[in-house]
Amino acid sequence: MNDETFMNERIDVVATFGVGLNPCTPVRFRRPSGRVIEITEIGLRHPTEQGKRMLHMFDVTDGGADYRLEFDSERLTWRLTMEGDHVEN
Amino acid sequence: MHIDLNSCFATVEQQARPMLRGRPVAIMNRRTEHTMIVTCSYEAKAMGVKLGMRFRDAKKLCPELIGLESDPAKYRFVYHKLMDIMNDYSAHVRMKSIDEGVIDFSETTEVLQGRDIVDIGHEIKRRLKEEVGCAMRCNVGIAPNRFLAKTAASLHKPDGLDVLTSHNLRETFAGIELTDITGIAGRMERRLNAVGIYTPLQFLDADPVTLRKMVFKSICGDEWHQRLRGWEVDKRDFPMRTAGRQYVLEKFNLTHAEILQRLHHLAESVGYKIRSQGKQARGVAVHARSRSTGYWHARHMASMPFFSNQAIYAQAAQLFANAPSDVKEIGVTCYELSDNKDPQLSLFGDELARERHITSAIDEINARYGGRTIHSANTLGTDMYVKQKIPFGSTRYL
Repeated sequence: MNDETFMNERIDVVATFGVGLNPCTPVRFRRPSGRVIEITEIGLRHPTEQGKRMLHMFDVTDGGADYRLEFDSERLTWRLTMEGDHVEN
Repeated sequence: MHIDLNSCFATVEQQARPMLRGRPVAIMNRRTEHTMIVTCSYEAKAMGVKLGMRFRDAKKLCPELIGLESDPAKYRFVYHKLMDIMNDYSAHVRMKSIDEGVIDFSETTEVLQGRDIVDIGHEIKRRLKEEVGCAMRCNVGIAPNRFLAKTAASLHKPDGLDVLTSHNLRETFAGIELTDITGIAGRMERRLNAVGIYTPLQFLDADPVTLRKMVFKSICGDEWHQRLRGWEVDKRDFPMRTAGRQYVLEKFNLTHAEILQRLHHLAESVGYKIRSQGKQARGVAVHARSRSTGYWHARHMASMPFFSNQAIYAQAAQLFANAPSDVKEIGVTCYELSDNKDPQLSLFGDELARERHITSAIDEINARYGGRTIHSANTLGTDMYVKQKIPFGSTRYL
């Protein structure tokens, strides 16, 4: 099976806000361990409603693993919720 | 114009997770070895993996196969993006399911402003890549009616665009099998074979009397005759008749009380479904699939319509008292649906009004703070097992 690890880590994120189809672009993030990950591609950004609260899910990669970042547009917080590295069992 | 996302869920996962691109991916509703595959990527299909296959068996055919649990929120997002793109070209868009839809250009000649419809097809494919992601692909089929457009969309997968007209209809039908036609599967194929129809061309040439009286034994025969010739017979909406939900138990050794908890969760979910569509029900049906005795079901029709979760569960639980043991799957369905307008005055008017107010207050709170913020105490803890999965077929709840 695909190796996915689910977590709920508060992270620091550098993101740009511009115009166009994808106005918010996370560029890099720092995990609680101090490790900095440079984002090379945003796969998909999709919003998810939790009641009236809107979370934006960013599925991103650094070229070695895939990550899911969650941006809470009400609290303005970022969380890392998934890491997938495709190691075969 | 029929637009069909190729291997939709697998493609969306490959779009979301770039590391999965070019790899065989299978989407399942649960990540276990015994779960059936809901959809798989073209890389997996090339290795012989098919939908409905158990993951364990698929892994034998394709050892590198990556299994992923379905993520409906992602698919819903792509569905809405596709719908937005399609709505830019016509006011007559009908989504057929979560991964396909039809644009009816027959009434939008002014909007087209002389543009070539094939150009529009290419533009939609390009916009899908730009607005959702570069890995997204879709098939486009253009034809005089919905049926032939869907047939055209299935000719060159993935990422094809085909136009089916009276000029190339026979040529196209000569290159496909009977079962390649949408709506013709094994049983219907045998019925056609029984009257000497073995190919789509013979089906096309069959006279309407043979189709009506000998094959379909109903007006469906005439409809097929027209459908194959490009006449529109499928432009109709079907009213909502039932609403239901089923669940395969996470373990097969649950106690009766634990199964009832999950049944209660399903009843709450079905209750929300019918109320979200402004409906109420008069009937409740429950079913169970037992590992030893097979399929079992029971149903009950009430004299008065009902809409609350409690009313649905009370009847479902009563019916379920006769369910067999050794259950592996359960389900609840409400039927005889009608519009939930203020009913005729009843002797129990006060009680009904109270129930209506409480139910709508709970629905409002759940809509504001998230689904199942308020739910029955009996279903506490069932959320981690009974999760919302991909809604196939109807797009009402998307």
